[in-house]
Amino acid sequence: MNSKHITEALDDVALASLSRSELDEMRAHARDCEPCGSALAAAQLSARIMKERAQVVIEPSPFFQTRVMAALREQQAMENVPAFLRLWRSSRALVSSMALTTAALAVLSFVFAAPATTALDQTASAYSAESVLFDQGGDDQLTYEQVLNAIYTDDEGQ
Amino acid sequence: MSDLSAEEDEWIEQQLSDTAQPSVENNLVAADLADRVLSVLSPEDQQALLMIDGEQASIKEVAEATGWSESKVKVRAFRARKKVREAMERLLGSKTTELVR
Repeated sequence: MNSKHITEALDDVALASLSRSELDEMRAHARDCEPCGSALAAAQLSARIMKERAQVVIEPSPFFQTRVMAALREQQAMENVPAFLRLWRSSRALVSSMALTTAALAVLSFVFAAPATTALDQTASAYSAESVLFDQGGDDQLTYEQVLNAIYTDDEGQ
Repeated sequence: MSDLSAEEDEWIEQQLSDTAQPSVENNLVAADLADRVLSVLSPEDQQALLMIDGEQASIKEVAEATGWSESKVKVRAFRARKKVREAMERLLGSKTTELVR
């Protein structure tokens, strides 16, 4: 092989499958032939990185199995929990916030409703049936006699 | 393909001087370098080369795994090996000859 270029032989088979004598022959030729020397060196490096690349692909992370088993246990635990409890867990935040908002609104309505009611009562008392009846005529106050006359006049008229 | 990174250059130097130590970092640098070199290949050629040169599978095993004929596997592997070697030569430049000496 010494007189023959080795590039085609390098591409034909994997370097790992060559025997020691075949490799020695290639090296002997590569020492005297620069293009074949470069080709052999590149082929050797290529073979090494392919091996490394294959190992990286095959070997999973050491924690891979642990993570998978943990996820599996978590999923199984979720399946064993009753449906109502699962629903409660998922909607707990929403329900809590709604209850809190309702309570806050109730407190606010009590706090601000009290003065409003007093004002309303005062307004209502100012216009009670008695006051309307007796205050007819505005500031003109009737005397006791005028009232009696008015009553008896009405009775006689009927 | 772009030039070698500092880590890749260091990995090559270790290979040339035969001082390479097996380590996770070195494996990853080599795997990254492999990815760059493999990017010149079609997915089928990558698969053939990784199985034969990387996993030491035989032509027959690759043919059974892929459903291709054995001659097709051989042609794919030959073509892929040639392309990768040429890409590696271009990437390494004058450094490659040092590895043979």
